[in-house]
Amino acid sequence: MAATAETKGPSTLRNAFGGVLGVFILLLIGVLAFSIRLFSVIKYESVIHEFDPYFNYRVTQYLTKNGIYDFWNWFDDRTWYPLGRVIGGTVYPGLTLTAGSMWWLLNSLNIPLSVETVCVFTAPIFSANAAWATFLLTKEVKGTGAGLTAAVLLAMVPSYISRSVAGSYDNEAVAIFALVFTFYLYIKTLNTGSLFYATLNALSYFYMVCSWGGYTFIINLIPMHVLLCILTGRYSSRLYIAYAPLVVLGTLLASLVPVVGFNAVMTSEHFASFLVFIIIHVVAFIYYIKGILSPKMFKVAMTLVVTIGLAVSCAVIAIFIALVASSPTKGWSGRSLSLLDPTYASKYIPIIASVSEHQPPTWPSYFMDINVLAFLVPAGIIACFLPLSDASSFVVLYLVTSVYFSGVMVRLMLVLAPAACIMSGIALSEAFDVFTRSIKLQLPNILDNPPDAGDMNSVSSIAQNDASKIDSHATTKSETVSKERPSRKNRKKEKEKEKENVEKVPSHSENKKRLLVLPLEASAVAILLLIVLGGFYVVHCVWAAAEAYSAPSIVLTSYAHDGLHVFDDFREAYAWLRHNTDVDDKVASWWDYGYQTTAMANRTVIVDNNTWNNTHIATVGTAMSSPEKAAWEIFNSLDVKYVLVVFGGLVGYPSDDINKFLWMVRIGGGVFPHIREPDYLRDGQYRIDAQATPTMLNCLMYKLSYYRFVETDGKAFDRVRRTEIGKKYFKLTHFEEVFTTHHWMVRIYKLKPPKNRIRGKLKKPKSSSKSSSSNHKRAGNTQKNPWQ
Amino acid sequence: MDPRNPLLLLFLAIPALISLSFATSPSADDLVAELETLRAQSPSGVIHLDDRAVSRFLTSTPVPRPYSLIIFFDASQLRSKPDLHLTQLRSEFALVSSSFTDHHASSPAASLRVFFCDIEFQESQASFSLFGVTALPHVRYVGPHHHSPRDSESMDQSGFSRLAESMAEFVEAKTKLPVGPIVRPPPISPRQIAFLAVALLISAPFLIKRILEGDTMLHDRRFWMALAVFVYFFSVAGTMHNIIRKMPMFLQDRNDPDRLIFFYQGSGMQLGAEGFAVGFLYTIVGLIVAFATHVLVRLRNTTAQRGVMLVVMLVAFWAVKKVIHLDNWKTGYSVHAFWPTSWR
Repeated sequence: MAATAETKGPSTLRNAFGGVLGVFILLLIGVLAFSIRLFSVIKYESVIHEFDPYFNYRVTQYLTKNGIYDFWNWFDDRTWYPLGRVIGGTVYPGLTLTAGSMWWLLNSLNIPLSVETVCVFTAPIFSANAAWATFLLTKEVKGTGAGLTAAVLLAMVPSYISRSVAGSYDNEAVAIFALVFTFYLYIKTLNTGSLFYATLNALSYFYMVCSWGGYTFIINLIPMHVLLCILTGRYSSRLYIAYAPLVVLGTLLASLVPVVGFNAVMTSEHFASFLVFIIIHVVAFIYYIKGILSPKMFKVAMTLVVTIGLAVSCAVIAIFIALVASSPTKGWSGRSLSLLDPTYASKYIPIIASVSEHQPPTWPSYFMDINVLAFLVPAGIIACFLPLSDASSFVVLYLVTSVYFSGVMVRLMLVLAPAACIMSGIALSEAFDVFTRSIKLQLPNILDNPPDAGDMNSVSSIAQNDASKIDSHATTKSETVSKERPSRKNRKKEKEKEKENVEKVPSHSENKKRLLVLPLEASAVAILLLIVLGGFYVVHCVWAAAEAYSAPSIVLTSYAHDGLHVFDDFREAYAWLRHNTDVDDKVASWWDYGYQTTAMANRTVIVDNNTWNNTHIATVGTAMSSPEKAAWEIFNSLDVKYVLVVFGGLVGYPSDDINKFLWMVRIGGGVFPHIREPDYLRDGQYRIDAQATPTMLNCLMYKLSYYRFVETDGKAFDRVRRTEIGKKYFKLTHFEEVFTTHHWMVRIYKLKPPKNRIRGKLKKPKSSSKSSSSNHKRAGNTQKNPWQ
Repeated sequence: MDPRNPLLLLFLAIPALISLSFATSPSADDLVAELETLRAQSPSGVIHLDDRAVSRFLTSTPVPRPYSLIIFFDASQLRSKPDLHLTQLRSEFALVSSSFTDHHASSPAASLRVFFCDIEFQESQASFSLFGVTALPHVRYVGPHHHSPRDSESMDQSGFSRLAESMAEFVEAKTKLPVGPIVRPPPISPRQIAFLAVALLISAPFLIKRILEGDTMLHDRRFWMALAVFVYFFSVAGTMHNIIRKMPMFLQDRNDPDRLIFFYQGSGMQLGAEGFAVGFLYTIVGLIVAFATHVLVRLRNTTAQRGVMLVVMLVAFWAVKKVIHLDNWKTGYSVHAFWPTSWR
């Protein structure tokens, strides 16, 4: 007894010291997560990136200017002309509200930051939050050491960096934090059985629903885990408290979000949670009955209930199946269906299949996005099974489902990243634990009496304690790992066990520990290898953050032999539109540039990146793939004044409209059958040189892209397609060039006003009118344009 | 089953020989009757044509013919090429044919005068040149009014990806006759279903007992562990990519047919074997770490520990190095560190 009282003093001191150090480490992790995402600001400037963030930025601007109620009722007439779009009811408001309230808070503290600055730095701030949430989650599963390791790994995992660099102001930035935090609160409730955490869990789920459509992952994963726990006989009241409030409160809260609304109870994505909700009540009821009845009575009651229950559940399931089967997609949305049946999207929905982030990844994607974590995850899985607790089974389930989904769609790598970090954190910390313990327990022996190093019995326990004190500075991390255990209950048991050991025979525990060590020099080499592996991870992540993921794609740079070139053509073009066109003019472009045009040029667009109306997009696609006159008619019927095309042929910018053109044809042809893909292909090959088909050479996209192109170098050599173009000299009959940017990357054309009916003049442009008339004939009676 | 068996060839050859010996052009009704017999002899209703049959039924008959032919061009030597999918397309063609025959079984004979045929390249090279077919897969429609085989209409190349459905559309568009629903044979026959059902019924009590006792493989923790690791391996190997894109396990080198290509350079695509190899390397390192931390520590013999550790560390080091090397080779990225300028 006296011995325990003595050891208590230093151990509390050590715990306190460990706690302070842990907080300090967490602070540094936050700084790391924030600062590694600043490369885009340092290398370029503080600017919003890409496409979708511009929309979010515009919404945030509206929110800060007009207040929350106007935002909620906002009908945007600047997009999807002439349909418009109800913004308040069709966006996930989480990100906007977060940034808006951050801006409001800063302003009320008299820190005058612009809305743009707040938007740019929202993602890095939330990455730090996500790292801390990962720490909390992993700590619940495998202790502080694993938690800290996982947090460090998450702070710089490239997959997450790719979506959360400064300026990438998109839903995923806050959603990953919400996802991990919801999981943490679920595990915390599961470990403690506290209703307080259960309520927090529902609120956190609400935040996730507000932020991202990926919330369906949570509402399917948690029921799966609950079901797994029930099936493996791990039902407890804690499980009930963790699950039932989440479903009730969570569903009620979720249906408050306008974009979700009644979907929260009507679509198949949510049915799993309700089914498990019923099951857990049945199971809870059975456990309750079992408690109050004698075993014999219980058996009788069981048979009675099982027969009735089977009949009822059969009827319910039959109705359920009939309900689901009556809807054409079986109640699932296209994106979810393509997860379950990966070949679904490529067959039926070109607009989903056309997006590059919906493609299945190859193995280098994993190495790029989670890097060496890919090596460590299996070790983490195995560590979670030894011993298997409720919490560790949950993270295993999370990893397995997310790794499968990431295999189907490369964008879901983002959901895998936290799971991979948690698993690798667990694996690394267990490995470090074993290796450092091996060194710590054997090093003193060698130092004390080198001749018989292997003999343990000669070492007194006092020497052990001294050695551990000396080492405590260097290995606090691993120390805390061995101290902390998954759940409070387990921890208590562990402590009791330790006490028992101490009380009975002090040397016994030593012997036990002696068994669990590896040879000293091998452990040292292994630690060295793990550190090298970690070092490689850091190098890779910094490189990925700096080189691969920080380009804002609105400003481009390239290094040539004569130095740095900056291509700022997009903003040049949008600024031109803003200053030189009437405020109510309509601008047509492919949907990729819709958000940017409304946000930066403040002009009305026909289609944008919110691809909610396939017919409208197909109309624009048809216009782009039609000959000049037909295209002019379509655009004119849509009140379009200006047409904007992106052209990379001069500077070699590969993601321009000519490269996207086949998708325009495909999507257009999906609605208007007179556009046929084979007309644009020569023997199945897409080409724009002299071998190209006449349909291709006469379509609007070709003409607008290559108009006057031959004047640049005299040969009209396209540097993206690496060929000379097929038709070099032509004139435009229905469009006129009004603006071309410095590097020719954006070209803006104006629709010519309709001509007076002079017969002689209309016949002048022979080739184009000929081909268009032949097209007219073939189109025949098919519907060409819904707006006429 | 195969229409190209020798017996069928004999059947084909006999009428041709008879017609030659008489040296008179047979009447149109005779030809239709002949084609109908041939169709009845083939299980799927696909008639196998050779050079003689082509001349008999197509080139030497007066226009308009009382029937039309839909011809599938086949080549047995190209069937081994996985990217052409000839074997699959041929069976799909047979499906369309049998669906068509079933659909019109009770309708008047006039609508049945559409015959499905196939031609094999090696035995009927003359016919291939007659049609001017240079690339496979290829499906032609020869209507009653087509004078020479070259005039006949071919099916769109892009349609082949949709298999039987697009072939049926092609037939419907050209013949103006409905093909009817395409009846695919179920993957397991009714007899097998019955057998499975009986087996399940017999084993059900035993299974339920085992489940209640908690004594199945599903209650074994190691089973779930193995499953989790396998799903991980399956995904990081990019197997879903291979399934969705229908990637082959390996390619043949174009310049040197004996050499096989297992690794494809370029990050957008991967081959099957390549994915599994790297997925294995990904997984093995994690398993080694788990082995060292959870199994090896329990070993009592220090020398054995030392030896195993050495081997295991070498393997892990090699695997990581190999993956880094392969990744740099495949993607062409050069990952480098950022050092302070004063350190250089």
